[in-house]
Amino acid sequence: MNVSLNWLATHLDLSGKSIKEIDDLFTFAGVEVEGIVSKGIASDRIVVAQIMEAVQHPNADRLKVTQVDTGEGTLRQIVCGAQNYKVGDKVPCALPGAELPGGFTIGETVMRKVESKGMLCAASEIGLPVGEDGLLILPPDSKIGKPVKQLFDYDTLLELEVTPNRPDLLSHRGMARELATLLKTPLLPLEIARPNTNVSVNIRIDAPAACPLYTAIAIKGVTVKESPAWLKQRLESIGLRPINNIVDITNYVLHELGQPLHAFDAAKLTGNIIVRNAADSENFLALDGSTHVLTLDDLLISDESGAALALAGVMGGAESGVTEITTDIVLESAYFTPQGIRRTSRRTALGSDSSYRFERGVDPQGVLTASSFAVKLILELAGGAAETTTQVAGASPVLTKPVTLDAKKLDQLMGSSIDLTAAEEILTRLGLAKLTDGTWDVPSFRADLQRHIDLVEEIARVHGLDNVPSRFQGTFVPASPIDAAYDADMVLRRRLAALGLHECQTIKLISDAQVSDILPLRPMQDSDVIRVKLPLSEDHAVMRPSIVPGLIASAVRNVRQQAKSLRLFEMGRVFRNAGGGKAKDQESETLSILLSGSALPTGWFKVDRTTDLYDLKGILSALLGGREIKFTPKERAGFVLGCDIKLDEQNIGVFARLTPARERELDFTSPVYVAELDLGKLRKLLNGISHVEDLPQFPGSSRDAAMELPLNTPNAQIETIIAKLAQPLLVSSECFDVFTDPTGQKIAADSKSVAYRFHYREPTRTLKTEEIDTAHQGVLEALTKGLGVKFR
Amino acid sequence: MKEPIEAIQTEALAQISAAADERSLDDARVAVLGKKGTLTLVAAGIKDVPKEDKAAVGQLLNAARTAISTALEEKQIALREIADRAALAGIDVTLPARFQHVGSLHPLTLIRDEAIRILRRMGFALADGPEIEDEFHCFDALNTPADHPARNEKDTFYFDSGKLLRTHTSSVQVRTMEIQTPPIRIIAPGSAYRRDEIDATHLSVFNQLEGLYVGTEVSLPDLKGTLEYFLRELFGTQTEVRFRPHFFPFTEPSFEIDVKLTVKGQAPRWIEVAGCGMVDPAVFEAINTSRKDNAFDPEKVTGFAFGMGLDRLAMIRWGIKDIRLLIENDARFLKQFA
Repeated sequence: MNVSLNWLATHLDLSGKSIKEIDDLFTFAGVEVEGIVSKGIASDRIVVAQIMEAVQHPNADRLKVTQVDTGEGTLRQIVCGAQNYKVGDKVPCALPGAELPGGFTIGETVMRKVESKGMLCAASEIGLPVGEDGLLILPPDSKIGKPVKQLFDYDTLLELEVTPNRPDLLSHRGMARELATLLKTPLLPLEIARPNTNVSVNIRIDAPAACPLYTAIAIKGVTVKESPAWLKQRLESIGLRPINNIVDITNYVLHELGQPLHAFDAAKLTGNIIVRNAADSENFLALDGSTHVLTLDDLLISDESGAALALAGVMGGAESGVTEITTDIVLESAYFTPQGIRRTSRRTALGSDSSYRFERGVDPQGVLTASSFAVKLILELAGGAAETTTQVAGASPVLTKPVTLDAKKLDQLMGSSIDLTAAEEILTRLGLAKLTDGTWDVPSFRADLQRHIDLVEEIARVHGLDNVPSRFQGTFVPASPIDAAYDADMVLRRRLAALGLHECQTIKLISDAQVSDILPLRPMQDSDVIRVKLPLSEDHAVMRPSIVPGLIASAVRNVRQQAKSLRLFEMGRVFRNAGGGKAKDQESETLSILLSGSALPTGWFKVDRTTDLYDLKGILSALLGGREIKFTPKERAGFVLGCDIKLDEQNIGVFARLTPARERELDFTSPVYVAELDLGKLRKLLNGISHVEDLPQFPGSSRDAAMELPLNTPNAQIETIIAKLAQPLLVSSECFDVFTDPTGQKIAADSKSVAYRFHYREPTRTLKTEEIDTAHQGVLEALTKGLGVKFR
Repeated sequence: MKEPIEAIQTEALAQISAAADERSLDDARVAVLGKKGTLTLVAAGIKDVPKEDKAAVGQLLNAARTAISTALEEKQIALREIADRAALAGIDVTLPARFQHVGSLHPLTLIRDEAIRILRRMGFALADGPEIEDEFHCFDALNTPADHPARNEKDTFYFDSGKLLRTHTSSVQVRTMEIQTPPIRIIAPGSAYRRDEIDATHLSVFNQLEGLYVGTEVSLPDLKGTLEYFLRELFGTQTEVRFRPHFFPFTEPSFEIDVKLTVKGQAPRWIEVAGCGMVDPAVFEAINTSRKDNAFDPEKVTGFAFGMGLDRLAMIRWGIKDIRLLIENDARFLKQFA
């Protein structure tokens, strides 16, 4: 809400208060000051000066040395670069010490070896709207030496954010009342006569729940014309555009008192006013030109012709408003129930200063006051004659009730920082009154105060948290399973970072197109994908079922930035619908890794290699403390080389490479490998060892064997045979060489040579050579039998 | 035999001295001391030496062997020193490294972890809840009326099922109170969603950290002390902290918290970092209804809650000017956090 400081000052004495103090006052009242805009000239040290002489600067072509009269008895020498003046003109002069907008202070200086004791100013330099280039030429009759601010209006516009629980602050009177409470100064009186009222037979309320109170008064013979300067200035000071005197008065009263009013052209009304719900699909043409199809829930101001004159509390109709030819008006002031106004405003996307206040709740006791105040202004500014009584239908709703303040609970909550007398004094200042039964009567404009805690809030707010002591203590709490999961995740994150991967954070809403890049732990159908109902854009329409698409997008971005090596990971939630036909959303957590580009940093040592899938396998193994990771081929739609990732026969994730076609499409120049792992399982795998293993007491021995076998035999088959054999002396085996020769010269092109090293040991004694040979022979025979390998 | 021994010694010493590397030195050793070496052969002839001369010849032989062995050892040491020097001479220590890949944690992880570590020292345990929430946990139980502006489809992501993407991590307060009883002292980091267009200061998916302390006699001094301590640990022990009255549906009284920070080259200014307040009794009542008991009797139980935007904290901490940097994952940005 915009508040003019000059306007505010008509309600309470703010003299001597700096903007900073007022800013703090609002801030600690709970009203956020979002902006402070000063209009006009602030400084007293900018005065009217007459230019008596102007000669060329001896050392600068574009400067002149002027002698100006600022009413000090002697002339002041000022160097000036402007060209638009002539000797004898009166202009603003900032004297040394004057502070200009932007915060810099004028001093005495020497410009190119010539003294300059001040500054002659352009309009923009002293905070006035930008005018013509050059110095601001003042009227010839301006009095020399007079502060220029007195020639122009000065005001400060405060942009305030009022929280939704405080509609009583949505007016200058309301804000002033709050400041007066905080400053402990009186609010200046605002005399508004209580109007004569008459229970009306001319107004019919068909929807009393939505409109408990409706008042109207007719004024005949008004002259619709331009508002006087003071009124236009008030409205302009808070950014409103003056329209005509009648409309301006209703706007003025709204911002003065917080009660929205509406003026109808009486000539356009047929018979009595009827407040009714709209018919289903009834059309409404608003005064801003927009048309709306209404529902039964919307409230209309209508008449006996059935015309929709106004969308109650939101906006007037295009047909019924005041125009230049209007002579008779009907002025509405009413109380509309907030919920209905809010629904209508949202449904129609129509918002106004009026709906803003009604949907937060206006003061039911202010309805007639505002009407009376407006009538007085209309008669003054537009002439005419008002009916002697205001027509009233319905009654003011009672929204407040006496509230009990529990002194013991107050003391506990405030940490005994305020005594009851002081607390009660705050409530009294806020307009509450202690009743004989000890409860507190709440003023009608504070319907937000309904419970003990609401009174505590007021006391805490006015007392200030600054005045509450700080207590540094708490209770002991056990770690939760979430703590354990978090700790495991941090271990994994740190290990991955230590392995040279960058942690990413991608947005959890992805596009439908990105769904083709998902690599979920379990394959998905389209019905498993969760889509938001009204996405902001196509790019953010789907809850990610997998982190892989996000990492691919990040990789694409980095490739465009010429990144040579891509080593990315992200951890977080993924989403899927697990209910088949029924919506049953399931959230789980995964770790996703993407590798591509150079496997090693390059340099003068010239070791370079393109990342391959074994690098990814190695990272996974290192991540899990060097444990053996197995890839079991399993096709994945949209990818090649799809594999299940296994550890100790447990599936812990999925691996794949993007299809070469997709890689080309995304401008990748080397293969892109991705993996998505089940974070829940990884966390469990981090549960270190329970006891250490004794170190071997006796030496072991190794035997190497190179075997020739068909090119397409997977290594896993060798491992399976060795594992199945379960030779008790064989403690481990490792593949240390794979040799192929596509030319067929050294080994047949359709064959490969795979070399293994076998380690034999017996924990209780040293093995004899013959025992090792026998065991080794058994291994070789098993391989021959199982795979038909030839040993080389 | 005196002459041949002396001749062998002289020749051997000359050979040793002339050896340019360890290999020729070894050749020299073999030539004189090897199985068929000149001195070995002469020594083998001692059996033919007359008895009275044996001692003298033996002495001569020993002296020659000692002299030759010493020369061999000295020469070997000298040759190795030369070779070592030559080997080291070729090393240019000023060449750049054989670089390793350097990884990094995301700034959001770093700031979240820092906050969590501080709050854990203060005795808070972690909690969480679903991101796809229902209206009860996200709004109703948090005293947010059905027609509250946050609850419309323009501001909140809904699903056809009627569920929604949680607009704040405050829903975890409700989730936790449903399954635990006081005292409760939890923090819940997590994602939240609002239907905001993505720009330099807004993300539609952002990250928050929620906190809740519920017990008997939890008071405003507890709220103030806890959050002052936390923010001073996070921003520095001298940091000024202020509490501005504010409004949230689920706390009363409510405050926003500012810290006074100095951005390089600017005057210190108040920067909003968190919201907080005493849990509104209406929240406890909703929890009791949901639990079907009176474990959170508003007459006996009080509490405070707080929440802050982690993305915003990261931006403040590192002077990040555009929030989108936090989701774009540009390696040139991420590397700075290595």
